[in-house]
Amino acid sequence: MKLGMVIDLERCIGCRTCTVVCKEHNAQPPGIWWNRVFTPGAGEHQAAVGKDGKLQMNYLPVSCQMCENPPCQKVCPVGATYTDERGVVLVDYERCIGCRYCLAACPYGVRQFNWEDPRKAKAQVGYQDGYTYGYPKDVRAKNGRLVYTQDRPVGVAEKCTFCVEYTSQGQEPACVLSCPEKARIFGDLDDPNSEVSRLVRERQTYRLKEELGTAPKVFYLAPAKEQL
Amino acid sequence: MIAEVENGQIRAITQASDYPEQEYNPRGCLKGLSYINLIYGPDRLKKPLIRTGAPGKGEFREVSWNEALDYAATKLKEIAAKYGPESIGFIFQVGGTGYVQKGAFVALSTLAGWNIHHPYDMNGDLPTFYPMTFGVQSEEAEPLEWLNSRYIAVFGSNIMVTRLPDAHFLVEARNKGAKLVVFDPNFSATAAKADEFVPVKASSDAAVGLGIARVIIEEKLYDDAFLTTYTDMPLLIREDNHKRLKAEDVQGLSKPADVPAYREAYVAYNGQFLAVHPEKFDLPENVILEGEVEVTLKDGNKIMAKPSFQLLKESLNNYTPDKVETMSGVPKDTLVRLAREMAAAKPLHVVYGASNYQWYHGDLKGRAIALIPVLTGNIGQSGGGISTYAGQYKIRMNLAKWWVPQGKAQKWLPWLYVLHGPTKTMKAKYPANGLKALITGWGNPFDQHNMANKLREMKEKGELEFVMTMDIQMTTSGKYSDVVLPVCSWYEKTELTATPVHPYLQLQQPAIKPIGEAHSELWIARELAKRLNPEFENHYFPSLDENTAAEKVIEMLLAGGGPNVAGITLDQLKKGPVRFKSAAPGNRQIPFYEQIHFKKPFPPLSLPAKIEQTGQFLKSGRIEFYKDEDAFLEAGESLPVHKPPFEESEYALNPATREKYEFAYITRNSLYRVHSNHSNNVWMNELQDGKPRVWLNPEDAKAKGIRQGDYVEVYNDRGKVHGYAILDPGNGRNCVVFEQGWWSRYLNGESFNSLTYPFIKPTNEVYFVPGIWVPNTAWNECLCDVRKVGDKQ
Repeated sequence: MKLGMVIDLERCIGCRTCTVVCKEHNAQPPGIWWNRVFTPGAGEHQAAVGKDGKLQMNYLPVSCQMCENPPCQKVCPVGATYTDERGVVLVDYERCIGCRYCLAACPYGVRQFNWEDPRKAKAQVGYQDGYTYGYPKDVRAKNGRLVYTQDRPVGVAEKCTFCVEYTSQGQEPACVLSCPEKARIFGDLDDPNSEVSRLVRERQTYRLKEELGTAPKVFYLAPAKEQL
Repeated sequence: MIAEVENGQIRAITQASDYPEQEYNPRGCLKGLSYINLIYGPDRLKKPLIRTGAPGKGEFREVSWNEALDYAATKLKEIAAKYGPESIGFIFQVGGTGYVQKGAFVALSTLAGWNIHHPYDMNGDLPTFYPMTFGVQSEEAEPLEWLNSRYIAVFGSNIMVTRLPDAHFLVEARNKGAKLVVFDPNFSATAAKADEFVPVKASSDAAVGLGIARVIIEEKLYDDAFLTTYTDMPLLIREDNHKRLKAEDVQGLSKPADVPAYREAYVAYNGQFLAVHPEKFDLPENVILEGEVEVTLKDGNKIMAKPSFQLLKESLNNYTPDKVETMSGVPKDTLVRLAREMAAAKPLHVVYGASNYQWYHGDLKGRAIALIPVLTGNIGQSGGGISTYAGQYKIRMNLAKWWVPQGKAQKWLPWLYVLHGPTKTMKAKYPANGLKALITGWGNPFDQHNMANKLREMKEKGELEFVMTMDIQMTTSGKYSDVVLPVCSWYEKTELTATPVHPYLQLQQPAIKPIGEAHSELWIARELAKRLNPEFENHYFPSLDENTAAEKVIEMLLAGGGPNVAGITLDQLKKGPVRFKSAAPGNRQIPFYEQIHFKKPFPPLSLPAKIEQTGQFLKSGRIEFYKDEDAFLEAGESLPVHKPPFEESEYALNPATREKYEFAYITRNSLYRVHSNHSNNVWMNELQDGKPRVWLNPEDAKAKGIRQGDYVEVYNDRGKVHGYAILDPGNGRNCVVFEQGWWSRYLNGESFNSLTYPFIKPTNEVYFVPGIWVPNTAWNECLCDVRKVGDKQ
């Protein structure tokens, strides 16, 4: 099994719903976002790019690219970052020592660091009665590693897990389920009959910074309109 | 929506995705999905409050429900006794999102004789051209119908930001081969997805619409059978008084006996004069659309008359491609090409956005743009027509049993009169002693409806003696209130909702217990009713707990709701959304399907109005482009014309503004808020760096010495607001765009609406039917200037 995702940039409208549901379901504290949506080339999200009447506005959602050859995993001195049997790159929060090599190594800038205790960060928002959000239970991988917990320890790195708390139970990641534009397709790249396999095979997809040889398992379908 | 609850608290929200038509799943966007930040956030109200400090300061003491309700009831009784109950106003915001809870307070206002402020016009969402042209409040094709269009022309609507769950239908329609053209001063997110973006000067869309109409008529690309059958185009207009010629005035003709009092029989000509029955579409095909005829009146006088179409054709000579290019900036060749394309592609769907009609001449622009789908016979067709998509205004079923106790007469006061003061031409009744008290809920009027700072001044000066706010959070309006009552969020009460866009009736059921001491509005209304007059309480199922009472209300509404909800039960709703009934195949929402396919007269009903009220808008029973009421004739607007912005508004109010202010102040909707909702949502604010933004064209910014990120002030003689400059090459020239909805605590206490002004256009006062024919707020009819006040932070 090799889980992957296709993001259709023709369908993406830059609404950042995926950004928000990712934060919510994965209990990210203020300041941490696993999944971001940019307007490439623009000084502000949803500002136009171009001049003299030649304008465009395209969007790029970026989260962990789930590389087959992940630089973050290579540099991890303690083996906290690893690839599971489904091809998902995960962080073991109990093993991470917070050296942040992975943050430096990731060419996509998607790794986030818990500089402060997430419980304190959330408390600063002023939620009522110690409220906390996100998937409430710990998730341990088959090998016993802690790959999801609602409040990560201070000083560990974190990132998109393809919603390990849901996908390990056969459900889809929150961003895929919640995208109002249905721009995200998730599935097994090893299964030739899956929608992701079909799209990668039949449509012209590209991957981010392919030249680095990281071999991401997140593929993009380019917007249909002519690019400036 | 599904709330995932653990230990009595919502941990996450997911779209339920339970619409029977998969195309509609999932519905819900970044705001609704992050609503937990409002339910559990620091601004959540937990106890009733009574103000102790100056209005707006936010100083309160916590009190018991009894104390708060007794205090409110006493004040309301005092004010009613002193100034009359009509001096108390109630704001409930958009009825479609709460038939039960909002209805509870509409009912109390009715019982107590208070004035009600209809949200649709208050919000500026009423497309005033719609009642003028089609006789209805508004009508909208459901988004599933977009897939059946061959051509979609969007005039100033930003569906990709303001209709997030439906936006994909637009992309899909395009991918299926429909051409998507966007007319807008700004290169919006919607323009970015279009096949063609046509930049236009601000508020020049009427010129574009009329220019396109002229090409369609000159090149004989129009559907003359459609015009003859369904529109006023063949009806004769008298040249002596510019009124429509009545059958009863013509020698040899008479008004048919079965014409209702709110209708009129007019006259067409096909070699003979014909009395046109307003409720039958049976004119012969050979009636003239062009030319001039001599008519002998009953009194023996002879006058000349022309069909409306002839007059339209003559009037359109002012909109040659050359002239339209000057007025709108659309190149003449582009205009002619687009006109031919639109005439050739059927079905054609036109979307006319609220930002575009929230101008002084929003009615004229709509009437002009509506010519395109009407001339080409695209009304009543799957994938065709004209839609607006603004507001959750629509009442889709008969609510009278709950909203109008004992059929008592209701008092409605359009909000603009509160801000502007009464006018000589108004038809609504202005309270003799003015507005002395305000009851608000589901909204934040002290930010959102505070034009020219008027509302805040009314409270600060003591003119408003009492304000009561019901909310889940402490908003700016809460801070200006004397009593603040904590209410249940959507996830803590029972409610029945329906939106105008997609035709489903839906039940909201409590997922968690109320936070703190919050109660539903139904409970509050019942408690207040009891204190105002013990008899009032009987309307509210006094023996039942608030959620059971709400379910009883829903059962009562379903039983008497009329044909749209026939057969729908509470049990069905508990399982998921249920589609409304309609006359179109598959119960699809296709505006005017019955009029066109079953030849029923215009207009269809706009609930809760009666046909006597809206039928009078179209006395001919037809789609009307010629309006012969005096106010239209006096304004030179009997037919749609283009009038540039500011001439009859800002420049008329103060001629000096012509030289002083060159920028239009556009307050558009933000991706991160639903108006004022979510202004304090911590995640939404992180996504925009917590900064109010001022969008400018880089050339304009350069001329003002403003760079990206600079702190700037937007101002005029009435007010000011500050924000951080965004230089956007897609922003139109001479437009300052500010994203409305910020609570004033994020604006140094300023109000973005301190710049705007409550202009009232006389053609909007010809009739008065609440929320339907009424002056509409023209947020964008506002001039300003911008200057740098600080460097990038």
